[in-house]
Amino acid sequence: MYYRIIRNDIRRNKAVTLTTMLFVAAAALLVALAAILVVNLVGALDTLMTRAKTPHFMQMHAGELDQDRMATFVAQNDAIAAFQVLEFLNVDGAQLVFPTRSLAGSMQDNGFAVQGEHFDYLLDLDGNIIQVADGELYVPLTYMQDGTARVGDTVRVAGHTFIVAGPLRDSQMQPMLSSSKRFLVSTNDFAALKPFGNVEYLIEFRLHDMDGLGAFASAYTAAGLEANGPTLTYPLFRLVNGLSDGLMIAVILLLSALVLAIAFLCIRFTLLAKIEDDYREIGVMKAIGLRVGDIKQIYLASYAALAAAGCLLGLGLSLVFHDPLLANIRLYMGASANAALAPLLGMISVLLVFLAILMYVQHVLNRFRQISPAEAMRFGGAQEQSSGGKYFRLSVNKLLGVNLFLGMKDVLARKTLYATMLTVLVLATFMTIVPQNLYHTIAAKSFITYMGVGNSDLRLDLQQTDNISGKAADIAAVMEHDDAIARFGVLTTKTFHARLADGAEQPLLVELGDHTLFPLTYAAGRAPVADDEIALSVLNADDLGLTVGAVLPVLIAGQERALTVCGIYSDVTNGGKTAKAAFTDADAATMWSVISAELVDPSLVDATVAAYADQFTFAKVTGLEGYITQTYGATIRAIGQAALVAAGVALTLSVLITLLFMRMLVAKDRYAIAVMKAFGFTNADIQAQYLARSVCILSIGIVLGTLLANTLGEALAGAVIGSFGATSFAFVINPWLAYLLSPLLMGVATLGATIAGVWDAGQISIAEHIKE
Amino acid sequence: MQPIMVGANIVKSFGAGTERRNVLDGVSVRINAGEFVAIMGPSGSGKSTLLFALSGMDSIDSGSIMFDGVDLARLSDNELADLRRRKMGFVFQQPTLLRNLNVLDNIMLPSMRDNRKNVAQIRAKAKALMQQTAIEELETREITQASGGQLQRVGICRALMSDPQMIFGDEPTGALNSSSANEIMALLADIHRTGTSILLVTHDVSVAAQTERVLFIFDGQIAGEYRPGPYDAARDDLKTRAEALTVWLATMQF
Repeated sequence: MYYRIIRNDIRRNKAVTLTTMLFVAAAALLVALAAILVVNLVGALDTLMTRAKTPHFMQMHAGELDQDRMATFVAQNDAIAAFQVLEFLNVDGAQLVFPTRSLAGSMQDNGFAVQGEHFDYLLDLDGNIIQVADGELYVPLTYMQDGTARVGDTVRVAGHTFIVAGPLRDSQMQPMLSSSKRFLVSTNDFAALKPFGNVEYLIEFRLHDMDGLGAFASAYTAAGLEANGPTLTYPLFRLVNGLSDGLMIAVILLLSALVLAIAFLCIRFTLLAKIEDDYREIGVMKAIGLRVGDIKQIYLASYAALAAAGCLLGLGLSLVFHDPLLANIRLYMGASANAALAPLLGMISVLLVFLAILMYVQHVLNRFRQISPAEAMRFGGAQEQSSGGKYFRLSVNKLLGVNLFLGMKDVLARKTLYATMLTVLVLATFMTIVPQNLYHTIAAKSFITYMGVGNSDLRLDLQQTDNISGKAADIAAVMEHDDAIARFGVLTTKTFHARLADGAEQPLLVELGDHTLFPLTYAAGRAPVADDEIALSVLNADDLGLTVGAVLPVLIAGQERALTVCGIYSDVTNGGKTAKAAFTDADAATMWSVISAELVDPSLVDATVAAYADQFTFAKVTGLEGYITQTYGATIRAIGQAALVAAGVALTLSVLITLLFMRMLVAKDRYAIAVMKAFGFTNADIQAQYLARSVCILSIGIVLGTLLANTLGEALAGAVIGSFGATSFAFVINPWLAYLLSPLLMGVATLGATIAGVWDAGQISIAEHIKE
Repeated sequence: MQPIMVGANIVKSFGAGTERRNVLDGVSVRINAGEFVAIMGPSGSGKSTLLFALSGMDSIDSGSIMFDGVDLARLSDNELADLRRRKMGFVFQQPTLLRNLNVLDNIMLPSMRDNRKNVAQIRAKAKALMQQTAIEELETREITQASGGQLQRVGICRALMSDPQMIFGDEPTGALNSSSANEIMALLADIHRTGTSILLVTHDVSVAAQTERVLFIFDGQIAGEYRPGPYDAARDDLKTRAEALTVWLATMQF
């Protein structure tokens, strides 16, 4: 019997059944993929970091290294299992010349390293420790992937020639999020290259017990050891390594939740329409004594079959599609040790999707309990109570056409019924506008001011070179006499020490200069102007526990000076722990300098960049647009694409749900339609009434969605932006897109779906529904 | 007398294949302008199907139906809707009112479809009809706040809004107690006196006895016709007319 019911159901509603099944399949596919990817990612990450013996604690340091003091510290600290100091030879990108291009202009710090002696190994694609020969060069996987290098290529570095022997996996500097990239050469070649770059030390430790990491980090700081550079730990390496694939998994999980919600809505509307269709029969079945559970079984059978087919299809597809998605993880991290578990977990997650659908269908079918056999047999449908709009009367209506009036009246009278469609339209509007606004905000040039960088046309970075102050002064002198430069400013970052509340000292990178020339957007307060003011990055302010108005003692020229915190800003540069001040101190060690400039004619930025790059080969010269492209270009593009996908999904969702909702509504309203037809309303009248309902809901949905997008959406987007380091921001909105094109598209799509959904509403037979 | 409605050789079937059955099997019927006619017959004989077919609410397989000189088969769906709205009125066994609208709005609805600019005029007419049918106190009430008999009067008011040439009633008293049924029949008699044609489907002998002519339908065909003549409540004894009709119906095996 069930087979016959299922077959008949499918035959009657082929399109809706197929659509629902496809959504179930998509949800099952995505959930299974997420499960498979999680298992593989975790396994592969463990394998990579275990084989590479990633350091548990690493201090980067530029400057002199006191080997004896370090050896004493190691000898006295029982927590240390292994210790080594590696050298990272930072070379200007322009000196690294591949057959296709040089690395000039790369925002990455590209450098050379030798193989780790005791740990922190650089691995080949089989996960083995690379043994490198003289003249060979192993290239970070990223550069092999983007086509910069191929095995066998000849690479010129500062007059030396290398042959690319293969790609390398680097467990600490591999992801694009990590700003440095290590090229592996032999010890001899490293020695030969040393005069052409600047050495930065990687002071690395492996501990006996990872739980003691926090205590060890404190001990290192307390010992006052070398710390002129970022400190990185094993959990951070793990996080950064897993982040991009983790984000992909998070997106897949979010998508699967969305698709499952759509599948639920599809099921809800088709099931409700079916209940309306079968209202009389259900009433009869109840009247003759069938239990609600028995009747539910009949309907459940159809949806169990549909869910099972969808889930099996999704599971099958996941087994086909997981390979391409796993390719990235396998390439960058290698195979997972527990890969065999993945399909099993995929199956379990699909089974959960199947059970969730069955439970949802059961929940919707609970409506059977409310069906009165008497009412069902007498009226053939539920006799809904009107719940509002009593004072909205036809007899006093002079403005609206009858069909428009009836449409609006219905929405007012049956608010709860329309709530689902309204919710979907609000969500769809929200989904269309927020990612778009986010994209326009991030893509706007001014966005950079949220990230710790002033809004100029070009910037010259002086880093990893000697006599930075002198070189910066040379550049300033040239700019002073350059008619193309409208204004410029030199900011120099120097190391100071702040005195903490407990009396301890903490190194503090402070950028000195005039911060009002190319100002940042401050999360709180303003830029420092007076000599006794300092602005802190959010991370520093949080770390030091300071807010605007607080006083921070800083050691300047050997004397402690109390600086007042005048502003707090977001920063993603240099590890996010920075400070800005306007005082001067010629004695402190200069870390780097940035010269920002605004052009008289901003369209000449490329030519000016080229001219300054030629003249000052020691500086990294970038147009700000280029800087943004290199730093956030991939993120901006990804968000742009995500915005398009989100708009597409939102439109599809609106169309699908409106279509199904209207079908359900027509099934529910058959009696009222028949009555109106009997009294002389035409098919076009009936359709016009449904369109009026749609327009009513759509208008409210778009207005609410847009309002929410600009309030809640802005806050949500703020949280996303916050993950990049920026804490306070306002949307940059493209009004044509956000307020005209998006609502227009949504309107056209929804009204189109309404017309399609109610196309045959007027075809209802009067006799069939009114005749006693 | 001029006919207002002429149906000739009407065939209407339901079902498919071997189970297909002619519910109307070559029915011919003629209703004169201003005539008050009842259709009677056993359950499933095709009474309501004939009424729905004659009013253009249901299609027919073959035959023809002329209303006021117009062949219904030649009219589009929209033209049929216009005809029902402007020249016909309907009263069903259930009130067939829209639950979202209050009583007054339900009565005004079909007229507002054509002429919303004259809302004051339409409202005045609706109120006059409500007064005439003694339901003026229901004006702003929701339809859930009225009795079955009151709702049937609401239905009659709605049917009269367009000054129809003909009123179709499908068991209009079927769901009412005898007192309410008598009131509704008195109302229909009043409407008939204004010259409006009325065609009723009924099971109730005392209802049919108040009409001028009774058509008896059996197995999809008109099996007989009985003419009790015009009924005047003040002059005629309804019980006697009903008994005579019952005797005739008995000859029809009813």
